Formats: sequence, C-alpha cells, structure tokens
Amino acid sequence: MIEYMPRESPIHRLNPLAKMTWAFAVMILALIFNQIDYLLVILGTVLIVAVLAGIYREMLGVLKGLLMFAVFLVVLQVLFYRQGTVLFFLLPLDYLPVTREALLLGVAMSLRMMTVLLSFVVFLATTQFKDMVVALTDKLKLPYDYVFMFMTALRFVPVFLNEIVKVREAQAARGCQVDGHHPIVKVKAYTQVAVPLVLISLRKAEGLAIAMETRGYGSNQRTYFKEQPITRIDRVVMMAIGLFVVAGVIIRLQGFGMI
Amino acid sequence: MKAHSVIKVEDLVYSYGDHRVLKNVNLTVHAGEFVAIIGENGAGKSTLTRHFNGLLKPLSGRVVVGGEETKHCKVSQLARHVGYVFQNPDHQLFHNTVEKEVAFGVKNLGLSTQTIQDRVAEALQAVGLDEYRDSYPYDLSKGQRQRVALAAVLAMRPEVIVLDEPTTGQDYREMMQIMEMIQVLNQKGHTIIFITHDMALVAEFAKRVIVLCEGKILQDDSVEAVFTCPDFLKQSFLELPSITQLGNGLSHPEISAPFLTVDEAYNTLKPLLGGEAID
Repeated sequence: MIEYMPRESPIHRLNPLAKMTWAFAVMILALIFNQIDYLLVILGTVLIVAVLAGIYREMLGVLKGLLMFAVFLVVLQVLFYRQGTVLFFLLPLDYLPVTREALLLGVAMSLRMMTVLLSFVVFLATTQFKDMVVALTDKLKLPYDYVFMFMTALRFVPVFLNEIVKVREAQAARGCQVDGHHPIVKVKAYTQVAVPLVLISLRKAEGLAIAMETRGYGSNQRTYFKEQPITRIDRVVMMAIGLFVVAGVIIRLQGFGMI
Repeated sequence: MKAHSVIKVEDLVYSYGDHRVLKNVNLTVHAGEFVAIIGENGAGKSTLTRHFNGLLKPLSGRVVVGGEETKHCKVSQLARHVGYVFQNPDHQLFHNTVEKEVAFGVKNLGLSTQTIQDRVAEALQAVGLDEYRDSYPYDLSKGQRQRVALAAVLAMRPEVIVLDEPTTGQDYREMMQIMEMIQVLNQKGHTIIFITHDMALVAEFAKRVIVLCEGKILQDDSVEAVFTCPDFLKQSFLELPSITQLGNGLSHPEISAPFLTVDEAYNTLKPLLGGEAID
C-alpha cells in the first residue's frame, strides 16, 4: 500500500518537502472541519492530485480498502452517540436508536480518516525514499540517524510481510496447521511463525548494521549525490498550500464547517 | 511393471501477476524414482515443486498427489505425503534444541511419544547430527542447519521428499554426505525430487532428469539419454560435467554410454588404453 509508483508527472517532480507540506495541510484542514460537504471538498482535492500524479486507479483501490474501516467508524458512532433527533430504531420495541447527528458525525469521521490516510498514501506513492531522506536531512536539517531509522522501518514493512509468508509456508510444509480455519488452532500455530520471524529479523538487522559500517556509515559528514533543489514551482506550491490552510483556519474561526 | 504414480501434473499453468512462469507442464512421478530438476534461474523449478505439496495451487490444470487433487487440500495435510526441504532452513527453526526442532513435524502427525523419540533419534543419526541433539539450532553452521531441516522432514517419513537446492552453502564433504543420505532414502523406497544447479550431482545420483526452460519441460528422460544430447542443455545454459564432456568428446566406438562419474570413465578407459580395469 505504501509503495512508490514510478510515473512521469508534475506531482512526482515536486520537491518532497512540497508534497509533505501538502499532506500535512490536508491533515490540518481535515481535522478542523467536521461538516460532510467541507470534508468532501478536501477529499476531492486529494483525488485531483492523485489524477495529476497518474495514480488515480491505484488510489481508488486504496479508497475501496479504506471504505471497510469507514463503515466500521459509522457503526461505532451509531452505537455510542445517542444525542439528537432519533431517525429510526435498529431493533424493534424502540431499542438502539439511530440519531441524525450520530450518522452525520460517523460519516464525517470516516471521510476525515480516508482523506488524511489517502493524502499520505499519495505522498508516499509519488516520492522515492531516498529523495525523502535527502529532503528531510539536507533541507529540514533533521539528524540523519533518526531519518535513516524511520525510513528503514518503513522500507522493511514489505520485507517482513514477505518473510511472514515464507515462514508460514515452511511451517505448513511440516504439517503445522497455520493454514487451518479453527481460530484457536490458528492462534496457537502463530507462535511457530513468530519465533523464526523475530530471529530472522534480528539477523537481518545485524547484517544491515555490518553492511552499513563496512560502507563507512557515520564516518564523516554526509554529502548527497542527488541534490533536491527547491524550485520556484515548489515555492509557489508551498505558498499556495499555506494560504489555503490560513484561509481554512479563518473560515473555521468564523464558525463555518462545524456541525 | 511400473510403480504407481505419486505425483501427477496435468496441463499445469501458473503465473505471478502477468508473468507466466509455468506453461502447460505435464509430468508423472512414480513411486521410488530419483528425479533431478534442472534449468537456469527463473525457469520455474521452485514454482513447479511448490505445487507438489500444495504451497501453490494451479491457475489451470491439475496436480494430483497421492490420489487427491491439491486444489482441495491444505498444505499441512499434504505434508504427510510430501516433505519439502526449503533452500533457507531459518524460516522454520524455532525450538531451543535440535532434537525438539526435529520432533516438531512428527508431533504434528499425532504419533505416540515412543514412536516420536525413535524417529527423531533415527533422523538425527541419518543426517549425522547425533551429537548436536541438545545444541541450539542457531549455533550450528548453515550447512548443519540445513541438515536439521532435512532431519525434520525425514522424521516425518513422507513418501515423497522434495529438496530445493539441498547442497547450496555446503562444502564438498557435507554435500556428498547429504546426497548419499538421500540416496539411501531412495533405496529404502522414498521418492526423491531435487532441484540443483550442480550437474555432477545429477550425473552421480539422479536416475531421471527434467530440464525446465522458460516454464516448459524441455526434456524429461533418463540421465544417460539427456546427457547424450547436450544441445537441449545448452539451450537452457547448462553444461555437462567435465567428465561427461570428455567422454562425449572422445566419441570412441567402445564408449557406448556417456560417462556419469569419474569411476565409470576410469573403468571404461583403462582397458581401451591397454591397462586392466580395477574395481
């Protein structure tokens, strides 16, 4: 899900910092409003960016996946939010009332969640890890060790998923019922997957550390092969994003956009 | 009379995404056979053998193991019939001692404690790890860990044993030890299928060779037959063992079959050169 998708697009060409600013701006805007039409507009802009980046179809897939959680959020609101006008009852004899406010709030929460997550997925899908690292350390002056740690952690997610599959296969091939359907048997079988996985991970980490040291990690001031200049376009984009956020905050302070 | 078939593959097709890895593979493995699967990297060797214990299910076509179609079986059930020794043993090791590790698979079969103990002891003896029974598996060398994984499969005594490059990372002595052990198993009646890049091993141990090339079976015949027409091998970038090349290159009327081992070559050539063959 958080994989780089190589394309030739203006979004891909933007400086990682500009895209990061955008993702955070989307988050701020999505968090300060909780009215459905406002949130729909924000989600719409995220989708427009996805179209510009040429990854529209993949993002629709991600949205579909998120929809499941969205439904879950709506159900939670409906079950636990009881104030407001009752629309109908889920069970006969007036049990489990569903209120208009609960529905609206539930949908708003879902939209918020989808918008924020999608903006970060778009960001990660259009930005290469190494460019992100350069942007964070060279431009934002964050300590390289931490940036590297964070990036490696992200980078290792697919590797781990792959290892899990392999360990499961190896254990199933010895007659261990990791592929069973009974929930208790399955949970028990998972220790047999977890232990090799942890051991393999430790070995991988150790190997990585040694490989890094042999290549001179931390021996000197780092320089970067690929500079990531902040172009005029990047500046304009970041400024526009900033203006949008300020405008959003002002609108919100005027009392608009809240239920 | 031919022995009964243990694995039957019919029109097997498999792809990873858009990439078609196996294209209409047909083959039958009979009980007691000793089969080597060779081919360049990416030819589909592992993909094919992974169908034998149900790790992969055919996209189209059928794979029948022990009379049942794998499509309807779980891997953990098929494990009773087909043991699989993976390239990397570390994906399965998780016990504190070698002994417990080897016992794990047998326990999954639900046998009595006595039987489990006997089988574990026998398997450890077979792979020569008797003295390491109380060692921590991760303290062993890679080659030894590979043999632990092999012992774990042996203890389950499956009819068919699939080995995915069992000799990678082993030194010559370890390699020979493993192959000789596999040979003994074969003589005891187990069906052996192994993937390898080492043509000398094929020559010395296998009875039947399957050459895979770009997802198709290029050749499927006895070792002698495959080694007499090396053109097919060249097509999949495989080279005959040096001793076989020498024999084929001599093309002497007295040399009727390709040399598979140095001993064979020696025994054939010695009398031709005017000496006496010794045993």
